Amino acid sequence: MNLRRVLVIARKEFRDVMRDRRTLFFMLLLPIVVIPALLMVVTGFLKSQMKERETRVLTYAVEPQGKVLLKALANHWMSENMTAYTAVSARLGIEAFGGIDDISRVADRVQALEDAGDKQGGVGDAAVMAWVSAWRDLNEDQQQMLRDLGAVSRFLDQTKWIGLDKLPAAGPLPQGVTVPPDLPGGLGKESVAASITSREKAVHAALYVPPGDVDEWLNVDPRSAVSLPVTILYDSSQSLSREAFDRFQGFIDALNRSEVRGRLTAVQFGRDFVRPVAMNEVNIASKGREAQAFIGGMLPYLIILFCFFGAFYPSLDLTAGEKERFTLETLLLAPVSRVEIALGKFLVVFTAAVTAAVLTMASLAFTFTYGILPEGATAAFDLHFEVPAVLLTASLLVPVAALFASVLLTVALCARSFKEAQSYATPLQFLIILPAMTALMPDLQTELKWAWVPLMNVSLLMRELLKGNYLWDFYAITLISMFLLSGLTLWIASRVFRRESVLLRT
Amino acid sequence: MPASAELVVARGLGKTYRGAKGATTVATTDICFAARAGEVFGLLGPNGAGKTTTLRMLSTVLTPTTGTASIDGHDVVSHPDRVRAAIGFLSGNTGLYPRLTPREVLAYFGRLYGLPDERIAARTEELSRLLDMGGFLDKRCDALSTGMKQKVNVARTVLHDPKVLILDEPTAGLDVLASRTIIDFVRRCRGEGKCVVFSTHIMAEVARVCDRLAIIHKGRVQFGGTIAEFRQSAGEDLEEAFLRVLERAA
Repeated sequence: MNLRRVLVIARKEFRDVMRDRRTLFFMLLLPIVVIPALLMVVTGFLKSQMKERETRVLTYAVEPQGKVLLKALANHWMSENMTAYTAVSARLGIEAFGGIDDISRVADRVQALEDAGDKQGGVGDAAVMAWVSAWRDLNEDQQQMLRDLGAVSRFLDQTKWIGLDKLPAAGPLPQGVTVPPDLPGGLGKESVAASITSREKAVHAALYVPPGDVDEWLNVDPRSAVSLPVTILYDSSQSLSREAFDRFQGFIDALNRSEVRGRLTAVQFGRDFVRPVAMNEVNIASKGREAQAFIGGMLPYLIILFCFFGAFYPSLDLTAGEKERFTLETLLLAPVSRVEIALGKFLVVFTAAVTAAVLTMASLAFTFTYGILPEGATAAFDLHFEVPAVLLTASLLVPVAALFASVLLTVALCARSFKEAQSYATPLQFLIILPAMTALMPDLQTELKWAWVPLMNVSLLMRELLKGNYLWDFYAITLISMFLLSGLTLWIASRVFRRESVLLRT
Repeated sequence: MPASAELVVARGLGKTYRGAKGATTVATTDICFAARAGEVFGLLGPNGAGKTTTLRMLSTVLTPTTGTASIDGHDVVSHPDRVRAAIGFLSGNTGLYPRLTPREVLAYFGRLYGLPDERIAARTEELSRLLDMGGFLDKRCDALSTGMKQKVNVARTVLHDPKVLILDEPTAGLDVLASRTIIDFVRRCRGEGKCVVFSTHIMAEVARVCDRLAIIHKGRVQFGGTIAEFRQSAGEDLEEAFLRVLERAA
């Protein structure tokens, strides 16, 4: 074997595939442009969907007297808590009556920060940051009051009412949906359930509230108190109907909290009278860390997948494609050995695969860091892109790319035409997707036995490396396992390249 | 080297293809012939006679199942690299890289043949003048006409100045003008003292350029000798004589 000739072949093949649009697309354009664009569009879409769900006006079907009572209850809540929220809004520097939106925004904002696992601070405009720090000085009751204010005002403002008797006509109930017939206030009628489950989604939930007024239900003798029985009919399999339920529940919870507080004060009982046990919940695994684990699992999967895509077209082009263009035989007639041909082609496909994977890595890191983070939560998503981790990850790409290049070259060489090669090589994707996806399973630990399973080991190890865990024994076994396998497939490829029946099969 | 040196010698070349489920196809059995320097040797036979298989064995793309052959003294089985360096091969299956230009194609093969870059450049200029390729040397091959491609292919075949040329149905599918390029080229090579092995299924082409011929049918040599000998045994109508040889074999 002559290395100079291998390089002559590799140089020419490289020039050749670099003039192929499909190769360029999968090697360069896909990782650099398409991945970030796609990720941004998808997350942007999800975010706007979520926001749209939260701000959307929902329709509740209810009898007129029920609507009156619900509104009265909300106003009752407002007047009961007026003193409290005037005090709080003064501390936050927000105008008490015009600023209900702002006040609930503070609660939402803080909630988002806490969901993202950001305990220290965040990035945002100065006014909001000032609210957030003021918020942190409030006591638990005051914070809860603000959250409840958000729930009550959202239920009041973002609701459209419709009379139960004015429901639009809807078709029959979907299969499997049954409604108990003895529900109060006519909620048991099929037409009500049908309009909630219908495609038009004109009604998101139906409510039944018994007649009466606020004083009748709330100002009662403590010994003969009866709950106000309200009923909500909804369909949890539809997101908007679920949202209608959540909002209503938030509203009722707020009412209950406020009312219980008032009743306890009236009888001069402490708040803890109705809370024999107080549980203090400290969850270390915030949503931010969950997201981090997810992204840490996504990266290896995408890197491995796009490494495969990078190898895909050049390997087909340089084998089956050459047969189709009648150029393979020309090359076989030159004074080069078939192993040299195999190696020259291998080098090119290998380079394409590594390039695609490295570009994917860089582009994903960039996108996740700068593109699609929820605002104000940068710290929570701090993936450990340390230089040694990145270098070790890159070193894992060498055997992965070698494996893909040699397997794809072998498979594609056996085909007569580009199309046939495609139909052989495409199913290979599924063989690599499964082991590559293992990093996405957070419960799967990096036990040493997994280090022997090709691709799965790379996927798991990349996840740990990107989190900053340097598992040297796992790394060593992974390299041994991957180099053994890719060495074997490369050897098989060179054997297949020596078979005239395969080379001349057209 | 005397002008009559035998540059191509086939000694009992046989090829059996193994198909699926142990089925075998005998492509050639016991092909024997010799071609000398300065002569054009015709390999004549109908489609499927085993011409391409024979030439592929001579050019080491296929390994013979039985027998062997030598090119310029190098054995095709034991020294395939030296054999490939000594021959220029042209057929309908030797395509050009569509995404490269003729100049790049020639440079690539020049390097594979181990020619230094200055020599490649000089040969490219020389062949470009000879074959009138100046107008399209730097266009991509997929933009060239069939005739232009054929010229580039011819240039690739003789780039390294081989002693032996093996042409497998080089005129198949070409129009009169392009065929003419090939025939002229074959004659010029003979003039330069090269040994040309030329396969075709057209008797008239053999009569035009070949000095000696072998008729192959059903994987065997059915006739071997000079054109004059063939004429003598067959009378003036060569086409008829060709058919009679084929019928006798059947």
